[in-house]
Order: sequence, then structure tokens, then C-alpha cells
Amino acid sequence: MVATRAGVRRVDDDGLALWGFGDRAVDVLFDGRRVWSFWLERDTRTSLPGARSIEWPAALRKFLDGRSRLTVTEHVSGRVLYDQERAFGTADTRIEMVGRSGAPISLDKSNRISPTFDTRSPADVLPLLTAISTVLDAIASAGIDAFLAYGTLLGAIREQKFLGHDSDADLAYVSAHSHPVDVVRESFRLQRAVQERGFHTYRYSGAAFRIDVKEGDGVVRGLDVFAGFIDDGVLYVMGEIAADFRRDWVYPVRTCTLEGQSFPAPAVPERWLEASYGPSWAVPDPAFQFTTSDRTVRQLSGWFRGTSTNRAAWERAYSGARGKLPTAKPSALARKAASYLSSGGTVIDLGAGRGADSLWLARQGLSVRAYDYVPTAAQAVQQTALDEELDLDVRMVNLNEWRTVLAEGARMARVDGPRVMIARHTADATNRFGRQALARFASMSLRGGGRLFLDVWTGPGRTPDRLKPVPIDEVARELSAQGARILVTRERPARAGSQRSSRGRLVAQWD
Amino acid sequence: MGLKDAAGRLKPKLGLAFGRGDADLARRVEALEADVLELRRHNVRLAEIADVVQELLVPLASRDQARIDEAIEKFSRSL
Repeated sequence: MVATRAGVRRVDDDGLALWGFGDRAVDVLFDGRRVWSFWLERDTRTSLPGARSIEWPAALRKFLDGRSRLTVTEHVSGRVLYDQERAFGTADTRIEMVGRSGAPISLDKSNRISPTFDTRSPADVLPLLTAISTVLDAIASAGIDAFLAYGTLLGAIREQKFLGHDSDADLAYVSAHSHPVDVVRESFRLQRAVQERGFHTYRYSGAAFRIDVKEGDGVVRGLDVFAGFIDDGVLYVMGEIAADFRRDWVYPVRTCTLEGQSFPAPAVPERWLEASYGPSWAVPDPAFQFTTSDRTVRQLSGWFRGTSTNRAAWERAYSGARGKLPTAKPSALARKAASYLSSGGTVIDLGAGRGADSLWLARQGLSVRAYDYVPTAAQAVQQTALDEELDLDVRMVNLNEWRTVLAEGARMARVDGPRVMIARHTADATNRFGRQALARFASMSLRGGGRLFLDVWTGPGRTPDRLKPVPIDEVARELSAQGARILVTRERPARAGSQRSSRGRLVAQWD
Repeated sequence: MGLKDAAGRLKPKLGLAFGRGDADLARRVEALEADVLELRRHNVRLAEIADVVQELLVPLASRDQARIDEAIEKFSRSL
């Protein structure tokens, strides 16, 4: 379709109404600073031909209370479509789009709030550049030549700087292996090499991990490391690329310039960028969305994903409470554990969350090992335990990753004395794979007389967010398969008239 | 041989498309995709097991408690 001029018909508290034919990226600026971009056709709703509307993204909406000079421009041509002083909501102050740390934020291409690079000073990003060099060096020490990739490579090749609308930095490498098992093992090894340099790392999948880098003003920036491999002439790179490719388009690496420093790039970066972003990679697009084929998604997901299911949702759920001591009273399960261990012993609190039960149990004089997918949720409890000199250790276990289950299971297997595990709404917080891992972890930790007390929503009816009911018999079967002797299974229906799910209680023992 | 005859000969060979219909074929493709996914998922798990064995087996075999503790702690930190 022929592209026409475009314009803005209306701006209000709900969103923007525009007109025009022909897709193009559009930027929205508040007081002269870009905070959001979208595509005129792809991202809008249309009622009459050419008449389009788009709502404010949820992440932006909460800031819309006050005054601002609102500007809407076409990203590539720079043509101004709208430029007026506007009032939103009821406040009479200027709208300030800043994050918790006070740093300016905008929306990245996934419409998530982040301190995008266009809000950062050269001094702010210097630690990130230093971290990129250190991480490249660590990976090189493990025998792999990594290089800039995705948006970071695009920024370096096209503009010699970070893309303004980007929010993280990306590295990649192409493995000498061609089998996914070897690629995953190599990625594990590289994470260790990076972690040994003192960085905090975080694994996304079998073929990608992140390094958390603190920028000049304390903003934490993600530096991602993606594995790639070539099999039968096809390059696969986590998490979006599958393309016909030649190894000599990757190695030996060449150099490129980013923010005034030299970094490695693939041998033919244009080929790499085309494989990443398609033939129009050279045209700036702040609202770029991958159109990865279903087959590629199936391949990459099948080989590498499934090791951090729902983790981001749990992190978001706890992010607001970080650093605050929980005030909840001890659960019935915690009281049962304390009463069972009246002469002392160790409680393994699996799925400890913010750690209210763990802290209470430690205060009863018990040794407590508090495990969670998101151990930062119990930071305040860990600090209090240190202050009060309690025997409480908060640790990470990821039921979707066998390695953590096996390593922590081996650790718990060596605990002397009576042991109890409590798993309060843990079986219903994970998937079948995770429940089988729970059973394995319990089996390793409790062999020789240890006891498990478990609570689970069994349905039908409503459950709290992120929890899915599981029949109590299914949980019992999964535990029995790992050698448990089931002592009690009990189901308590919800009160009459309540929409809530039934609850199940299970007690098991490993002899 | 006319077109009709050729189609008649092909029909049994392409029974799915001509006979039982698209729904059956779609079901079989769906099942096949699930089977492939199941097989692909072994990759990451096999890699996990190999990693645990490689990183922990040698220290565990040493029977030196301090070395075992250190190996598990170091391994857990890197996850």
C-alpha cells in the first residue's frame, strides 16, 4: 500500500488517535524525551480506513498525571506529527518519568519500563563497557571468541553507540559443537568462567545467561550472553535466529567501535545483522518486534528452554516487598513442623517465599534452610536472622533445573539429626516437571526417617495468583515414585458459599 | 493413462489427504510435533546431568568433607 502522510487527531487520558496509511515507526516524547515508540499500522486499532487509535501502554499509564509538552514524531524522517502542551489526570506538576532509583526511564521494544540508553550519560555506561570487556575476556579464557550481538552489534555497526531505545547489552558466540547437549554444557561452563570473575549471573535457559552490571548511578543493567551453533549449514542463535550461514561469516572476528571503544564483531557483521533483523536491519526501528518462525521457536524452546518457567512472574510478585520483613503469622504447617521437631532438628522450608515461616521456625531454636526460586524475596528475613544470630540460611533452588535440585539435595543429604521439609503451596506453584523435582529433592533430603508436610490447592475453585490446583492423589503418586511412604492425605473443601478451591494436606516419610 | 486414472492410483497413497481428511492429518502432525518436542527436551536435561557429574563426582569421590563442601558451594553459586 502507498504510504501517505500521517497525523495525530486526538490525544487524551486513554491514548492517541491518528490517521494515515503506510506502516512506520512513531516516537512519543514527553518534554522532549522519547518514552515510547510504536508502529502506525502494526500496533494500532483501526475503525474506519486510515483512522487509527492506540491506548497508552499500561506501564506508561501510571505516570500520566500532570502536565507535559507532548510531541509525536516519525522516527526515521523526524517529521513532527503533534507538538502541544498537554494536561493529564488532575495534578498540576510536570510529569516525571523516572524509575525507583530516580533515573529517567522509557519503554523498551517490549513496552517494559527500563532505563533505556538514550537516558544515560557516557559516565553512566562506562561500567557496562568495562564489564563487556571483562566478560569477553573471561569467555576467551574458556576458549571461545564471543562478540557483540543483537541490538548492541546493531548500534555499533550503524551508529557506533548503544541504540537509544535499547535497554540491555548482548554478546553471542558460535560454538564449535553442533549438538544441543554440547552447546548447553559449554554455556554452563562459560557461566562459571564469568561468575568466577566476581559477577552476579542469572541463567535464562540452557543456551543463555545474564550478567548483572551496576552502572555509574547504581542502575543495574543486564548483559546477556547467547549461545549459537551451526548444524548442517544452518546457524541457530538463542533466542531468535535460524538462518543459512557460513562459519567464515562469523570467524575470525573483526573489530567494531562502540562508544569510542573497540570490540569484537562477527567477520561479516552485515550478514549477522540480516540473520537477526531481516534485510531492513539498517533502517532504525525503536519498536522492532521479532517475527521468528514457529519452527525456530519450537526448535530453540525444545532444545534449550523450560529451565525457568514462571520465574519472572515470581520475581515481579516479590519485587515490591524486597527488604521488608514479613508480618504474617506462622502457618499451620510451620507449627506442625515445630511440634514434630520439639527436641530440635532441621527444617527445610521449600518455597519459603518472603520467609515468614522460616524466621518463626528459626526463632523456635530450629535450624532452617529456606529455599526459593526467588531467594531475594527473603532478604530481610536473612538479615534479621543474622542480626539475631539464628541458624537460618536462605538459598536458591529452581525446581525446573535439575542441577540445583541435585546439588542442593546432595547438601541436604548430609544434614545430621531429625529433618522435616515443609512445602506450603509449592507443588501448586510449579508444573509437573517441578513437582517431580520437588519429590526428588525431598527424597534426597529426607532419606533415613525425614518427614514432609505439604499443603496444596486441589481445586475446583479459585486459587491465589500464580498457583494452579493439583489433585492430592497426583502429588502422592509423584512422591511415592521417589520412595515416599504416604502417611496422610486429607482434603478440606472450601467453606459453603466460598469460591475458593479445596485444600489438601499431605504427610510423607522416607524410611 | 488419463488424469482420472492417475488420480485413482494416487488416491490410496495419499489416503490421508483424500480420504480421512485434513482433521486426521492435523491431529497426526500435532502428535508428531509433541513427540519431537519430547525428544528435544532431553538435550538440556542430559547436559544438566553431565554437568553435575563432571563438577561434583570427582570431589565427592575424594571423601574429603571440606573439599566436598567447597565443591557443592562453588557449583551452587554458579547456577
